[in-house]
Amino acid sequence: MNLIEREDQLMIAFQNGDDTALEKIYTLLKPSLYSFVYRYTRDEQLSIDLVQDSFMKLHRYKQYYDPNKGKLKSYLFQTAYRLMITKLNRRKKWRSFLPFLTPIEKGEIDHADRLTIRDAVARLPDKQRAVILLFYYHDMTQEDIAEILDIPKGTVKSRLHKAIQSLKDELGGEFHESGSI
Amino acid sequence: MNQDPFKKETYLGMKLDEDHVEVPDFPMNPKMKRWDRLVNVLASPAKNPVEPVISTTTGFLVLKVAPILAGTALTFIQLIFFL
Repeated sequence: MNLIEREDQLMIAFQNGDDTALEKIYTLLKPSLYSFVYRYTRDEQLSIDLVQDSFMKLHRYKQYYDPNKGKLKSYLFQTAYRLMITKLNRRKKWRSFLPFLTPIEKGEIDHADRLTIRDAVARLPDKQRAVILLFYYHDMTQEDIAEILDIPKGTVKSRLHKAIQSLKDELGGEFHESGSI
Repeated sequence: MNQDPFKKETYLGMKLDEDHVEVPDFPMNPKMKRWDRLVNVLASPAKNPVEPVISTTTGFLVLKVAPILAGTALTFIQLIFFL
């Protein structure tokens, strides 16, 4: 039994009343879910809140998960992604009304400094960032990403292509240097 | 485009692998309640919203003069309507 099948089996056990199964699902999926949310937001406390909220939602609405419709991992990532977008939009709205709530951000990247991959990913448009994070770091298929982000598969392909191109452009200098080695 | 686009992008893949995330230890059930989370957001350090204004001499002058002008205007409004 591979890991994905094991997660799905655990979820079925949880739906059938085995509460310890949720703890096991949490142990299995927490690291990848946290990594995704953290790489997207770069906010540790927000990422912790979102992971906890996603599992609370999974616990509360466990009967809504249907293993025939998709993998548990995709279902949980979809839940977390939706919660994250809602929370970030709400935050943006509050900050436009109350600018003094805007936290101190790290200084703008000095152009003389080398752009790190972290900065380059952070500078990607939100929609492209989600696609590249899911595809590269979480080995999701384009079908899974389409399901999580609720977009057509063709859109996933084009966003992935654009994101790769943008990252190459952002890290342009380094690409040229690596090519000359 | 069903194949992995990163197969050709080995250097980009190498750069992406450099980004490691430390996963902190935290329980499944949130210890912080909604109210605590709000307090956390309100209490976090925030940037000064009038900083772009005070960084220039004109802006600083406007910031100093604006309350006086507003006060004078309010006084006139009261004089017109209540006297």
